[in-house]
Amino acid sequence: MSAIARVRPAPRRIPNIRPRMRRVELGLLLVVAAALVVGGASLGATERWLRAQATGEAITAFGFAPPDPRGLGAYILGLLAVHAAFVLAGRRTDQILLPAIGMLGGIGLLLMQRLPQSLVTQSFGTLELGLGELQLVWLLISLAVLALLALLVRSDRWLRAYKYTWAAAGILLLAMTFVFGTDVNGARLTLSIGPISGQPSELLKVILVVFLAAYLSENRPLLAEESMRLGPLRLPPIPYLAPMVAMWAIALGVVVVQRDLGAALLFFAVFLALLFVATGRVSYVVGGMVLFLAGSWVLYQVFAHVQVRVDNWLDPFRDPLGQGFQTVQALYAFGRGGLLGVGLGAGLPTIAGHLPVPAVHTDYPLAALGEELGLTGLLAIFGLYLVIVERGLRIAAAAQDEFRALLAAGLSLVIGVQAFIIAAGNLKLIPLTGITLPFISYGGSSLLANAIAAGLLLALSDAGAVPPPPPRARRWRRRSREERA
Amino acid sequence: MSDDPMRPVPRAWADDPALDDGGLDDWTAAGASPGAAGAGAGTAAPRLPRDAADARAPWPGPSRAARPLGANLVRTGLALVVAFAVLAAGAGWWQVVDAQWLSTRPDNPSVVAAARRTLRGPIVDRNGSWLARSVRDQNGEALRQYRDPSISSVVGYASLLYGTSGLERTYNAQLLGLATGDPLSGLAGKLFPSASGVLGLQLSLDLRLQRAAVAGLGSDKGAVVMMDPTTGQILALASTPTFNASAIADPSTATTTMTALQADKGLPLLPRATLGQYVPGSVLKIVTAIAGLDSGAITPGTTYPQQPGAEATGLLVDGFRIKDGHHPQTDGTALDLIGATEVSCNIWYALTGLAIGGARFVEEAAKLGFGQPIPFDLPTSASRLTNGDGPAPGGFMDDAELASAAFGQGETVVTPLQMALVASTVADDGLLMRPQLVTALTGSAPGAGTVAPQTWRRVMSAQDAAAIKAAMEQAVEGSLGRLFTTGAAVPGIPTAGKSGTAQLGGTGEPNSWFIGFAPVDHPKVAIAVVVEHGGRGGERAAPLAGSLLKQYFALYGAS
Repeated sequence: MSAIARVRPAPRRIPNIRPRMRRVELGLLLVVAAALVVGGASLGATERWLRAQATGEAITAFGFAPPDPRGLGAYILGLLAVHAAFVLAGRRTDQILLPAIGMLGGIGLLLMQRLPQSLVTQSFGTLELGLGELQLVWLLISLAVLALLALLVRSDRWLRAYKYTWAAAGILLLAMTFVFGTDVNGARLTLSIGPISGQPSELLKVILVVFLAAYLSENRPLLAEESMRLGPLRLPPIPYLAPMVAMWAIALGVVVVQRDLGAALLFFAVFLALLFVATGRVSYVVGGMVLFLAGSWVLYQVFAHVQVRVDNWLDPFRDPLGQGFQTVQALYAFGRGGLLGVGLGAGLPTIAGHLPVPAVHTDYPLAALGEELGLTGLLAIFGLYLVIVERGLRIAAAAQDEFRALLAAGLSLVIGVQAFIIAAGNLKLIPLTGITLPFISYGGSSLLANAIAAGLLLALSDAGAVPPPPPRARRWRRRSREERA
Repeated sequence: MSDDPMRPVPRAWADDPALDDGGLDDWTAAGASPGAAGAGAGTAAPRLPRDAADARAPWPGPSRAARPLGANLVRTGLALVVAFAVLAAGAGWWQVVDAQWLSTRPDNPSVVAAARRTLRGPIVDRNGSWLARSVRDQNGEALRQYRDPSISSVVGYASLLYGTSGLERTYNAQLLGLATGDPLSGLAGKLFPSASGVLGLQLSLDLRLQRAAVAGLGSDKGAVVMMDPTTGQILALASTPTFNASAIADPSTATTTMTALQADKGLPLLPRATLGQYVPGSVLKIVTAIAGLDSGAITPGTTYPQQPGAEATGLLVDGFRIKDGHHPQTDGTALDLIGATEVSCNIWYALTGLAIGGARFVEEAAKLGFGQPIPFDLPTSASRLTNGDGPAPGGFMDDAELASAAFGQGETVVTPLQMALVASTVADDGLLMRPQLVTALTGSAPGAGTVAPQTWRRVMSAQDAAAIKAAMEQAVEGSLGRLFTTGAAVPGIPTAGKSGTAQLGGTGEPNSWFIGFAPVDHPKVAIAVVVEHGGRGGERAAPLAGSLLKQYFALYGAS
């Protein structure tokens, strides 16, 4: 115990807000902006060339303007605005997360601008918005939410104290989706309240992480102790096992009730990962996986839609024009991409005017990106997700207590694991599960939920306000150095 | 540097009592104070600063719970890194390793689109005569045309409705310009794009010989293979009946044409030369001779004392009687290799087969290409001595089946291409060349270039080959042999060969076979002919082979 720490009064409010340069973030954001502008220009040039090819008209001026320069500009300005807000607030939050997320969001935006705009349309009075414009709106809203959370969240009491309330809210959300939800593609994922519709399971994953972080940090000592042996397995005491079994039941319940394999897999994987972080016990993870596989096997036997998914995974070429169509077409897209890709805007040949991969904007953006940006682009995207996870785990490692550590780990893992599950599904490494690719896929619920997770991560990374001003002498010395320079 | 939130912080800051008040009102209450991930501080759980855990812990001894989370976080992170490495490997598999296979599959939309749009590369014969070409129809869509039906079993068809067959199928990617070669040259193609990736094919086929072969088969069903034994290049690969591939390629006539062809009992869509499996009869004796000499089971001078005596009544093997029809001519002489081949002695070859033994026989035949589909520009069926489910060595049922296989009956089936390779191997002094149809990929795109002839393997020594050559020459030019191979000899050019009369069981006419080559001392062409239900080998196949050899020498000369 340091005497200084005891004597110094704990400030409950930021003593003084002083703007603070974030050079790393600014530099990276400029790189991101440059990459997106180049991408937009390339996309615009390709689209103009293709149009000229189709109509037979000559290319009079070889335009390099992005197809929607205002949209791209607005997004880049949005990123810079968030950066400016961080600078003005003077908080010492992580500087890598925003550029990484911004790049993924920008890639998603370019992709949505490049896909047929009629894939998703929504009218607001006389204003009709297509896929790219809707994605832009959601991206800007998500950036705002991210910034607000990062700047305004100062306390974790509201998260940690009401963990059961959160859990109850999550289950309520799930129940409401089951009762009032609408079926899309055989899965009951969408809940509509008035004009707003969304996929609650996206929000549920954040709530789940909060609950797990609170529960595990509270019960960590007991969960980590060996107190029960069952053959080779070591189990925690029964009362503490119950919530975990409940988790397992909920995860499989999501499959049964919502037919949402992806969310179930994500929930359970994050649950196991956090359990491991909290206890350091591999046996829990192995036990959990065995339970999950056993449950999956039962589901496979019982549910036709699970069988279809698994059979398609095992051999999509068995029925390449029927059940395996989408999987096979996605593989073709990857194959066409090769090392460098065919270029933004130049991929995805249509079959009789239709997109070969109908869910390309939600479930299969990776296939489109793999075709147009190639293996190189995919590796870059995978790298960006790993950067986000790495930052999150660092924030966890530097956190002041276990709740925050588990929360930070959980929030970054939920993003990373979700990206892995859908990417692995796209690449036919595991059966396809219909979840979104974080920050890239089209969809307001997904973007918002991931923005909330990222915003909380940023808030958790806050290393506090600017420390007290340095001694006068040093300051003077620095100033004189600056004057000389 | 102070911008980095991960900067190490003195432990004491993390122990600030402000952290201890049950939930933190201000996440930064302790000033700048990251660093104590292992220090528990929560509403319910006792707080556990890393360095004071043991002292304050309510449970004894070092405990898992007291351990910091750092190590677990690192391990979780590593697990995720491994998971993403697997993703990268998966992407690499589909995008690099498997990309060519995926991008040339017929139902790939880019292939379909290219087939509609692209003018397929031309296919020409060895003299540059066109065999297949593409034009644009009035709608601007590509339309494929074929020279005539004689090449239908080789070139195949390319149809938007029925896909592709023949060489059009094998080289679909090249003809459409979809094959980018290896990933690196694909990369180069991206940097220096060429106008078109479409490649054409030059074949070793001679259209004149091909037409002569089809005309010679006439209305009979059958196949002819002519090849250059020294290079393995196919000169003619005829199969009858033929079909009109242009009518399949034309969308307006495709459906009616295809429906009629599929219903045709004569199976015109079956390329008999490569996929037809025929009972070989006596032409297989050449395989037996090769196996016998190469394995050392016989020498050219081998005779069997029991052979002359068995001629009248037949040789009894395992209760199965093997008969011959030549004893009026040979009259009790003990035959050696040349004699037995000249008169096509079943008993001598049956005894040779038994001397070789089932396992060795199958092994030796495999050197000629038996047992596996022959690697070729077109799909091939496997030829086999036995269907291989018997208990005896080599998969034969018993000695009777082995003895029958030795003269080409029993369960033995062969493709005409395989028998042409057998003749070619003898002609080329025991060296087996890989059969080859495409001699060059033409055009300016990457991947263009000539395809050099390839040696497949040495089957036997030149000495053994010379012995069999002499026997096969005797079978065509010899006074007794001529009776079996009427019409095969080319006047003025020493010809070698072996006829076959493949009994099919039942009352139908046997399949008529001939394999051979010429000139004997420096062979330029090898041939295999089969005519379904053509009767004895000397009746139909041998004269046809002779006439085709004559036409070959008329075109190319004998020297």
